[in-house]
Amino acid sequence: MERMTRNISRRNALKFLGAASGGLALANWARSGRASAEVPDGAKPLESFTGPGANPHWNSVGPYVMEPQKAPLILLTDRAVQLETPRHYFRTIFTPNEAFYVRWHLGEIPNSVDLAEWKLRVEGNVNKPMAFSLSDLMEKFKAVSLAAVNQCSGNSRSRMQPRVPGGQWGNGAMGNAMWTGVRLRELLDAAGVKSGSARVQFEGLDTGAGPKGLGSNRFMKSLDLTNAALDDTIVAYLMNGEPLPVLNGFPVRLVVPGYFSTYWTKSVSWIRVLETPDDNFWVKTAYRIPDTPRGTTTPEDVKAGKVKTIPIGRMPVRSFLISPDGSSKIPAGLGVTLRGIAFSGYGKVVKVEISDDGGSNWKAAELGEDHGTYSFRGWQAGWTPKTPGRYSIAVRATDEKGNVQPDEPVWNAGGYLWNKIERQELVAGKAN
Amino acid sequence: MKKRWKIALTPVGVAITLAGGLVFAQMRSGSYGSSNATNIEQAAAPGFAPDAKYDVGPYPSLTPELAEGDGRQEVQSFCAICHSTRYITMQPPLPAATWDAEVSKMIKTYGAPIPEATAKKITAYLQGHYAPENRKE
Repeated sequence: MERMTRNISRRNALKFLGAASGGLALANWARSGRASAEVPDGAKPLESFTGPGANPHWNSVGPYVMEPQKAPLILLTDRAVQLETPRHYFRTIFTPNEAFYVRWHLGEIPNSVDLAEWKLRVEGNVNKPMAFSLSDLMEKFKAVSLAAVNQCSGNSRSRMQPRVPGGQWGNGAMGNAMWTGVRLRELLDAAGVKSGSARVQFEGLDTGAGPKGLGSNRFMKSLDLTNAALDDTIVAYLMNGEPLPVLNGFPVRLVVPGYFSTYWTKSVSWIRVLETPDDNFWVKTAYRIPDTPRGTTTPEDVKAGKVKTIPIGRMPVRSFLISPDGSSKIPAGLGVTLRGIAFSGYGKVVKVEISDDGGSNWKAAELGEDHGTYSFRGWQAGWTPKTPGRYSIAVRATDEKGNVQPDEPVWNAGGYLWNKIERQELVAGKAN
Repeated sequence: MKKRWKIALTPVGVAITLAGGLVFAQMRSGSYGSSNATNIEQAAAPGFAPDAKYDVGPYPSLTPELAEGDGRQEVQSFCAICHSTRYITMQPPLPAATWDAEVSKMIKTYGAPIPEATAKKITAYLQGHYAPENRKE
């Protein structure tokens, strides 16, 4: 704008001003029209940040951005790369690779992987340290496929009150894919885990500029070798039948069904058997939750040092209304279909209920095809707004262990485990 | 002029006028220029060689405009060693004590090489522009 005004002649400047004032007049006319007839600007940009109240939007509020191998996604941060999946992509049970959310911790992540050099190493307290190329993984081990939800520990962090620092995700730090790869246990067996081993540690290509030995330098996670989740864990080289996008962990990533994504190491390149507890930052200090029901606590208890923490683990039951999303007004009397998804890290979703009065009365929705315990489960329910007005549609899921989504919020310092019942306002208009 | 009014008052003229009114009542049309007229360029298909290198090129750098003020330069030099300053603008407005704790975490936990006086300046800048009482954008 500055350069533009500097370069135009006086006469042109007058013309420009004339056009600008004309534009202003038009804008004023449009604005007054909007005020009297309540004409919305359907494409008005979102605010650039939310808070200190809760983020009221389904997704976070960042702009769309184009990243390699990706569709335009919602930008949280550009270095490290954190991108959120827009709501409409959850209309399908399997989230497209190009729309799958992205969350790296550190700034120095791969732009390129050379498969002539790259190896997945199985090392540490083993009889025979191994180094597998991608073709070794593809050819020497049996391929297994499973559908599983990958959800960031901090998904929906922007709902917390008071707000907590961290990635201010809306609901889109999750996705469901059909993962294909080799069983972790088979790789461990090939190397031979020595007796007396305690943990298995995973490290990928998530590295940063921080000093050696600190969390800002290397990202590593680990689990107890006796953890039953490891029996389901695979090292995946296919995501929905295609190679993984680099931003989602090419060439292989860990898939730990039912567990939060922090354990799903991207571009996993070292599997390390440990004899001792893992005291690296990402296990000992980060990604920990209060050892309380639902992992909820208060800022006062944290301040008072009363909160004992444990590592985060399985994902609590959640469900979402995906469409209609409130972007259209529904004529009263018109029957529409409410559609959405549900999942739980504790077991299969067995029931989804919807309410159109904000949660007082509930009725069961119809469940979609069962793609496996840890997959998204689709649901749908017919719904007719009988009279014009504002409706609050609420949705809640129940899993096979009897966990029911609660209506109480969650709060912890990390901003983890949010699973409160979701609501969507839908407006029904007069049909005549 | 008089003649035209006469036409408007004939039954046909009244019908046309009423029909015109009805069209306006049924719809609002021809309005353009929404306030979010922006775009994202499409990405060209990459040219790959059939070798063992899987390269996706550089990631976009989208550094935000930070609030003007004393300490901005220090924030840009030191915070951006490890991460984009978008980590700051992405946060909700945070209370002064939280910004203090964040800067201290970056130094003590993550090893950010920030001299003490600079750290104080950085903290004051964040508290002065990104807190509930003063955050603008």
